[in-house]
Amino acid sequence: MPGILIFSENNAIALELVTAGLGLKATMNHSLCAVALSEPDAAALAAAGADKVFLLNGQDWPEGCAQPIAELAARELAAVILIGGTARGKDIAAKVACGLDAGLVTEAQTIEIAEDKLQTTRLKYGGLAVACEATGLPAVVTIAPRTFDKAVAGDGQGQVIALDAAAGDPRVKVSDLCPIERHGVDIASAARVVCVGRGLAKQEDLALAEDLAKALSAEIGCTRGIAEDYHWLPVERYIGISGQNIKSELYLSLGVSGQVQHVAGIRDAKVIVAVDTNEKAPIFAAADYGIVGDLYEVAPLITAALKK
Amino acid sequence: MSKILVCYKWVLDEQDIRVNAADASLDSSRAKYKISDYDKNAIEEAVLLQEGQGATVDAVTFGGDAVKQSLKDLLSRGPDKVFYIADPSADKADGYVTAGVIAAAARKTGPYDLIICGEGSADSYNQQVAPRLAANLGLPSITYVQSLKLEGGRVVATRKLGDCTEVVTVEGPAVVSVVPEINKPRIPSLKQVLAAAKKPAEEIKIADLGLSPKQLTAKTVSLTVKGFVMNRKNILFKEPAQADNVAKLVAALAKEGVC
Ligand SMILES: Cc1cc2nc3c(=O)[nH]c(=O)nc-3n(C[C@H](O)[C@H](O)[C@H](O)COP(=O)(O)OP(=O)(O)OC[C@H]3O[C@@H](n4cnc5c(N)ncnc54)[C@H](O)[C@@H]3O)c2cc1C
Repeated sequence: MPGILIFSENNAIALELVTAGLGLKATMNHSLCAVALSEPDAAALAAAGADKVFLLNGQDWPEGCAQPIAELAARELAAVILIGGTARGKDIAAKVACGLDAGLVTEAQTIEIAEDKLQTTRLKYGGLAVACEATGLPAVVTIAPRTFDKAVAGDGQGQVIALDAAAGDPRVKVSDLCPIERHGVDIASAARVVCVGRGLAKQEDLALAEDLAKALSAEIGCTRGIAEDYHWLPVERYIGISGQNIKSELYLSLGVSGQVQHVAGIRDAKVIVAVDTNEKAPIFAAADYGIVGDLYEVAPLITAALKK
Repeated sequence: MSKILVCYKWVLDEQDIRVNAADASLDSSRAKYKISDYDKNAIEEAVLLQEGQGATVDAVTFGGDAVKQSLKDLLSRGPDKVFYIADPSADKADGYVTAGVIAAAARKTGPYDLIICGEGSADSYNQQVAPRLAANLGLPSITYVQSLKLEGGRVVATRKLGDCTEVVTVEGPAVVSVVPEINKPRIPSLKQVLAAAKKPAEEIKIADLGLSPKQLTAKTVSLTVKGFVMNRKNILFKEPAQADNVAKLVAALAKEGVC
């Protein structure tokens, strides 16, 4: 029966896809299948509501799953294949789409079936615009982490079926897997964020932002240039379309111009505050509250006022 | 000597696109084109390999008529030759069509030891052309590459994958996509700009690629594109003394319950 197939090499994300998949299942009336890479993952997906879970054995490199997933999707007549939008997932999704001769929608924010097509929305032009698109079935879709809530473990009775993976590509060798060290908290889940941009003249001046962050119990975030060009802060602290997406209750920027690629990462913040010398800086159009002024004057004043 | 192909897209500069507040429509009438930012890293990486160990670098682009304006800019960045497929149908192309067109072109102009793409385009950022291109050509792909070496016929790349890095070695050829931190694209020198005028640019007609109508029909069709409208309070505190503005700000934040 044509159905929905989900996969992520990261099972926390796979559980988010279960939520997305159950939403589609309600309108499509088809079964929800999943692919897992370990027995505990398979059991978790079944408990959370997958009707059938295929346990793919013998594949150490997630990218090597593309071909077996494409074959499985073809055999199961999957109409919609949802894949977790990690870097690996996006690579796998493109290969699955090629294997199925299907379209691929990258990082869809919403998905629904309309007129026998998959209708999706996604960002374009660095976050400036939202495109609504229709893709013929079968369709492959990647979904960014945290787009949907994780499905909770219920009394799902889904069946687990073992599947042998195909042999890997003999031309490809993978080595030196090395986790990237993370320092401090995850900015994406911080409750409050003070964000510094290139309005900051020197690395030492970060102290001024840190003082303010302390007074607010906030974490420090930054724009891409501060992390990627100046290396003043670790890359996982930069916010925007190519960095982190924040959902904090407060975002306060110091010397951030507010180009669309940055603003795309702060849209879910509840309250946005901007301090910038340039009244025409686009950040003010994206802000709830703004002060036009020198951050070197204004930031210490805010810190002092908060301490009172 | 190795033969490298670098792929690039000629995109509208999003900084010049305005959102009409009334209906959220996009106004790109004043927008200029640019080489997609990520592709500048791909071009730079190809040219670094060319300089470092000797290689010929071809470039290829698929776009509307406007791509002809890109050729000089592209050639001034170092590639030896550019192939372009200029066809109005490119406006409706999705990753499926684009990868199919570029694969067909690469079969004509290749074979290549290495094909380099940016991780995604600055406009659509679909991040699928490189892996699709690899699949179409029957080659391994290495996506999200932060450092790259060509060792004889072997491609050695370090991938950056969010929470880890890994090294992928391919007994060449391969298709790679690169992330921005792989290099800093240089600004072309006057000498390079002048030299660009003498380098070859060759048009490939889409009809000569031997692709079927189905292969030229997008799987994904755009229904609407709307500017993202931010509904924010936009309150600017504008007292002459910053201390007064700060007092008002802190009062407002207290009222919002966020300080
Ligand atoms: C494809 C692509 C993807 C991108 N992705 C991201 C992304 O994910 N995240 C991101 O952040 N960027 C991203 N960018 C870059 C983005 O377009 C901007 O260039 C960047 O966000 C600007 O950073 P900034 O605001 O720190 O610097 P600038 O734009 O240089 O702004 C500095 C601001 O500081 C102000 N200023 C200067 N001095 C002072 C002072 N003393 N007091 C107060 N204000 C002062 C200036 O008026 C100015 O507004 C991307 C770009 C591209 C092309």
